[in-house]
Amino acid sequence: MIIIAQIINGIALGSIYVLLVTGFNLLFLVGKIIHFSYPYMVILSMYACWAILQITDRLILVIIGTILTSLGLHLLIEPLFYYLNKKSISLDINTSFILSLGSALILTEVMSHHIYYGFPVAFPINWLDNFTFFKIDMINISSGQIYTLSVSIFLVLTLFSLIYKTQLGRAFRAITESTSKARLQGISVLKLNVLLFSIAGIIGGVIALLLSILLGSASPWLGDYIALKVLAVAIVAGLGNLKGGLICGLSLGIIESLIIHFFPGSWTNTIAFLMMLTVVLMKPKGIFGR
Amino acid sequence: MELKRGTVILEIKNWTVCYGPIKALDKVDLKIRKGEIIVLFGSNGSGKSTLLKSLVGLKKPVEGTILYRQKDIHSWNTEDIIRSGIYLIPEEGGIFRSLTVKENLQIGAYNNYYQYKKRLEEVIQLFPVLKQRLTQIAGTLSGGEQKILAFGKALMFPYQILIFDEPSLGLSPFYTDYIFKLINKLHHLGYTILLSEQNIYQGFKYAHRIYVLERGKIILQGEAEELRNNPKILEAYFGNQNSGRQYI
Repeated sequence: MIIIAQIINGIALGSIYVLLVTGFNLLFLVGKIIHFSYPYMVILSMYACWAILQITDRLILVIIGTILTSLGLHLLIEPLFYYLNKKSISLDINTSFILSLGSALILTEVMSHHIYYGFPVAFPINWLDNFTFFKIDMINISSGQIYTLSVSIFLVLTLFSLIYKTQLGRAFRAITESTSKARLQGISVLKLNVLLFSIAGIIGGVIALLLSILLGSASPWLGDYIALKVLAVAIVAGLGNLKGGLICGLSLGIIESLIIHFFPGSWTNTIAFLMMLTVVLMKPKGIFGR
Repeated sequence: MELKRGTVILEIKNWTVCYGPIKALDKVDLKIRKGEIIVLFGSNGSGKSTLLKSLVGLKKPVEGTILYRQKDIHSWNTEDIIRSGIYLIPEEGGIFRSLTVKENLQIGAYNNYYQYKKRLEEVIQLFPVLKQRLTQIAGTLSGGEQKILAFGKALMFPYQILIFDEPSLGLSPFYTDYIFKLINKLHHLGYTILLSEQNIYQGFKYAHRIYVLERGKIILQGEAEELRNNPKILEAYFGNQNSGRQYI
């Protein structure tokens, strides 16, 4: 029974990894950047969510405020990546990584020095009616887990439909294959880049809300913890492989929850990363390839 | 506004393009009239591809003017030039190899998606082979079929000028012949065509006017019939006047 409960926990956590990896992979594929600071922006949006909750508990304002913060952050950083992209013609991934790493460090510094004196912040208990939704024996499913899972499934399905079924998605995939060929079709790479960052920003905002419900707290260093995992999952799945990211993200969530069941909690990262390291050694291009 | 056949549709003057300190094109003048097939000859490195790319803004000139339908499009970006009706099919075809044939055609209609179904029917009618391949990944098509897809993609939007960069490159004699017949067919459908080519036999067969480029400069230009026996054409290709005559 406990194992089933842990698997359910894992699926809820994994669905957030999936969202993070999907956003990260989209930016890698279309924007041709390794957006390492993506999870950090999510954490900063969690702080925005917390700050709004100090003022009001009106749900709609909290949701809009958090999503707008994430969107704003992404639109702020987009011109930098685009400028870099244009300057180097065929983008040097390493340069974009440095820019992303730099912005991640700046965000962490801002959070650790200027927000709540760097202390972790706790979200008000049950700010989103996080009650026990379902309970049988040891299996306890909270409404927070239900929200997380249903919103994640909805978002992932929407994103995949957007990418594989719409003209916009085809344009994204065309840019992924070749920016110059896409421009020769009259596709405005600049406009789509802004749109891409906006989509990533909105997803980031939703992730921030879901993490706030699921974790109940945020700290400046949470970004490091999540960013490393997102990068690792993306590489293990095959950098830029959306379907691979979906499977590996979900698997990581479940594996982590099961590790907690069998080993002390502090070993979670070590075991998870050891497993990922083994996979990368056996399949350097990731399980599903690039 | 629809232009009459024979009206100048695109004109460049003093067109100079550089790669760093090297001049790839040096004060090139070129005029395209509506309804013409213009063939650009020149050996490797003569600047043909650079010229074609610069016409759609993929390479910006350091000097010169460009007028398209009497409008100065010098400062336009590639996307705007394409949407205005000038389309370049690059050497390798410009198809998206990871997308299916159908998705490629959909991308071809990116700026006029409301016309997609009508255009698709026309393209399928013109290239029936594409109908059986609609769900196939474009990268798995044969070289000739990929060229046909590139042509089909070009017809998904009402372009005015179609620019082909060495359309017969890497094709078998059968497909080369087929591709040139298609180009001629497109001309009869009302398209204005500019193409660069190394195959002088096919080039002369269909061209109305010829330009010969050598080291970035136009060394010869004129009506195809007038230039057919001009020894400079052979010189530009083979280095002397007596070689290669049998190819014209």
